[in-house]
Amino acid sequence: MSPSSVGPPGESPAPGGASPQVATGRRADPRGQDPVTEEVPLTGGTGPSGAAAAHTTAAPRRRIGEYVVAGVTVALGVFVIVDAGTIVVPGSAGTMGPRAFPYLVGGLLLISGVLVLIGLLRGKFGEEDDGEDVDPNVRTDWKTVALLGVIFVAHVYTINLAGWPVAATLLFGGSAIVLGARPWWRAIALAVVLALVIQLVFGGLLGLSLPPGPFLEGVSLFRG
Amino acid sequence: MDNLSALMEGFATVAQPMYLLYALFGVFIGTAVGVLPGIGPAMTIALLLPLTYSLDATAAIIVFAGIYYGGMYGGSTTSILLNTPGESASIVTALEGHKMARLGRGAAALATAAIGSFVAGTIATVLLTLVAPVMAKWAVQLGEPDYFALMIVAFITVGALLGKSVSRGMVALALGLFLGLMGTDTLTGQQRFTFGVPNLADGLSVVIVAVGLFAVGEALYVASRLRHGPVHVIPVEKGWRSWMKPEDWRRSWKPWLRGTAIGFPVGTIPAGGADVATFLSYATERKLAGKHKDQFGKGAIEGVAGPESANNAAASGVLVPLLTLGLPTTATAAIIIVAFQSYGIQPGPMLFQTQSSLVWALIASLYVGNLMLIVLNLPLVGMWVKVLQIPRHYLYAGILLFGALGSYALNFSPIDVLILLVIGVVGFFMRRYGYPVAPMVVGMILGPMAEDRLRRSLTISQGDLSYLVTSPFAATAYVSILVIVGLGLWLKSREKRANAELSRLGEEIREESQSQEVN
Amino acid sequence: MTVVLAYAPGDLGTATARSAGRSAALLGSKVVIVNATRADRLVDPRWADEAELAHVIEILDEAQVGHEVRHLKSGALPADVVLEVAEEVAAELIVVGLRRRTPVGKLVLGSTPQQILLRANCPVLAVKA
Repeated sequence: MSPSSVGPPGESPAPGGASPQVATGRRADPRGQDPVTEEVPLTGGTGPSGAAAAHTTAAPRRRIGEYVVAGVTVALGVFVIVDAGTIVVPGSAGTMGPRAFPYLVGGLLLISGVLVLIGLLRGKFGEEDDGEDVDPNVRTDWKTVALLGVIFVAHVYTINLAGWPVAATLLFGGSAIVLGARPWWRAIALAVVLALVIQLVFGGLLGLSLPPGPFLEGVSLFRG
Repeated sequence: MDNLSALMEGFATVAQPMYLLYALFGVFIGTAVGVLPGIGPAMTIALLLPLTYSLDATAAIIVFAGIYYGGMYGGSTTSILLNTPGESASIVTALEGHKMARLGRGAAALATAAIGSFVAGTIATVLLTLVAPVMAKWAVQLGEPDYFALMIVAFITVGALLGKSVSRGMVALALGLFLGLMGTDTLTGQQRFTFGVPNLADGLSVVIVAVGLFAVGEALYVASRLRHGPVHVIPVEKGWRSWMKPEDWRRSWKPWLRGTAIGFPVGTIPAGGADVATFLSYATERKLAGKHKDQFGKGAIEGVAGPESANNAAASGVLVPLLTLGLPTTATAAIIIVAFQSYGIQPGPMLFQTQSSLVWALIASLYVGNLMLIVLNLPLVGMWVKVLQIPRHYLYAGILLFGALGSYALNFSPIDVLILLVIGVVGFFMRRYGYPVAPMVVGMILGPMAEDRLRRSLTISQGDLSYLVTSPFAATAYVSILVIVGLGLWLKSREKRANAELSRLGEEIREESQSQEVN
Repeated sequence: MTVVLAYAPGDLGTATARSAGRSAALLGSKVVIVNATRADRLVDPRWADEAELAHVIEILDEAQVGHEVRHLKSGALPADVVLEVAEEVAAELIVVGLRRRTPVGKLVLGSTPQQILLRANCPVLAVKA
């Protein structure tokens, strides 16, 4: 008997039978705006089971990524070696000038990158980092990462325009919503409070000169 | 007796109410982040580096030491009460401790972990007190090529052993060395790899790199494959009496001491940090268990007591090379070096002479912090478990916000925050493709120092390269690289095999308990 | 016709289960037990485990009513999940538990029972602890 249907056999529907009733017609992009409802076995799929399978069989796209990263390392190594040659060596440089160490570093980049490439060709792929909040069985969610990046850049550009509290609200609220906080207005409300508290503590009390921005310019409490 | 009076002075400093509060703050935050999944002490200290802009050096170092120790304590709580697959250092505790919790002995498991951590932490701090000054005195006699040799040892061991793959570790190290090159060459005043960007003329800030790799990179990586699903906490019975029965004490005290004996030396050598120590201790306890041997894998208290003590003893051991040689051997140690550097203090053999009061205050704060942790930890388990109810989206949004705040407050320049994002993206890809990030930070910190030592050595020897290897110490160091790396890789492979076995065992237990619940 | 029980573990949950059992017996209908989590945190105290669900079923068995369990992980808010299940099974009654909440708590955390009370298309039975 599946752990998801707990009732006595006579009363409960067939194992798993309950879930499609709720979920049908609503199954959309699993991480998108449409929430998805699924019935789960009790352990919640949080066990290490299946992690091994995800580690050993790398998807073809992941392999391309591996080659790109190793290739970039090799290219960086070549660049460092070439660019080190352009560093001006003054006459007073002594026995070992400013070029030698960069040559060594470039060489190390080149060699280690090539070693990784050789490993890749022989089928040795990297093991992703694991962690308690990381699900080894899901595919990389590039959309979320990209959105977080966009929010971060927006944060950078709003600091001087609208002040730190606004930029911080944008960063915290935006990332929380992208990561799944619902309803959105609660995340924003929390972000506003957090931003003002940080502005007050770090800007007002600890004297960090965080720009309060045009909206709070007049409030002396928020200025360092 | 000179050191004893210095230590007493350290205690006098730490006993001031203000510093006691800082220590309390540190161990509190440290325990909380140790309990929280996805945040480690390295990330926390990196996020709190902005404290160094407004606190005095002693206060900041006391806070960071508290976080460092607190993180070790907090980790055991999570792994005992929730069976979360997490860092390899806690796999052992998770297996035996969680099994104990399932048998209704969670309080005993928590108690033996906490008391063991206290015993090990205290003994290891005593050892640190005795060993460090001797080591520093000896290290003062080392010459330039000897230091260069030490740094090479650190580079190679950290690069080869801190990750899962040697070649990827070396790539990470080389990337760190490259970042360390950026800026103006100290000896000739030439700009190197600044790409004409004025912000880079003074070099890239280690703070930005540390926060970018440990906080932003980690948050992005977790966001890319966020786990959905709650885990059940096993309720812990209340009351002092259920903590440890006389038999538990009898079975725990030897593993505590053995764990300490294993953990401290492993921590002092750059062999891959605390997880090797916990694994070694677990293997030892299993071998020595005697009539309790069949309990292993089913909730043997020795399997919690030993590894948890080893973990904490190793954490103190790491401080020996950090304080006496300026060599960071773990990610957290590297970040603590960054904290020292932001006060213009360079950890190394001179530290015990030039910053005597600071170092002894730090050591004294370790004793005090340990005491605070044991008092805080056991009665407050319920509160630590509440910390786990923080929704992930707010947790990681908060990490991004504090990371951005820290790097913005460095120069109040938005460009720094943009650089932070770039480093964070690099960190994301490194995690995604299995490159360890710790060697990168170590490379960036030690790279410029190594270059400095190398150039000074060659100036002394007028370009004679053999000068680098002819001193007895340097020669020994280079030989020991082979030994340490060989030994470390051997341990790692054994650890990997044992871990596979352990997780298979954990799987069986999980299935077993699941079928029990259903029936 | 069915009675929907919005269940969260605890004493209040037990009390709501009893009320749901009694109501269903009176109405002669079965109970659909709904327990949902947004799965957005490591530990969710409102997510029931097997033992807790078994306890609810025991209570309903004592009341001699039929039952069905909906143990759901959903990105939607718990109130939405309950309302959706109620819609789907054409519930004639929803049973929820009411806890005392401070105004600030309500603002920060929101209130699932309040949402259900305001938006349900059928009568709602609110049980106080």
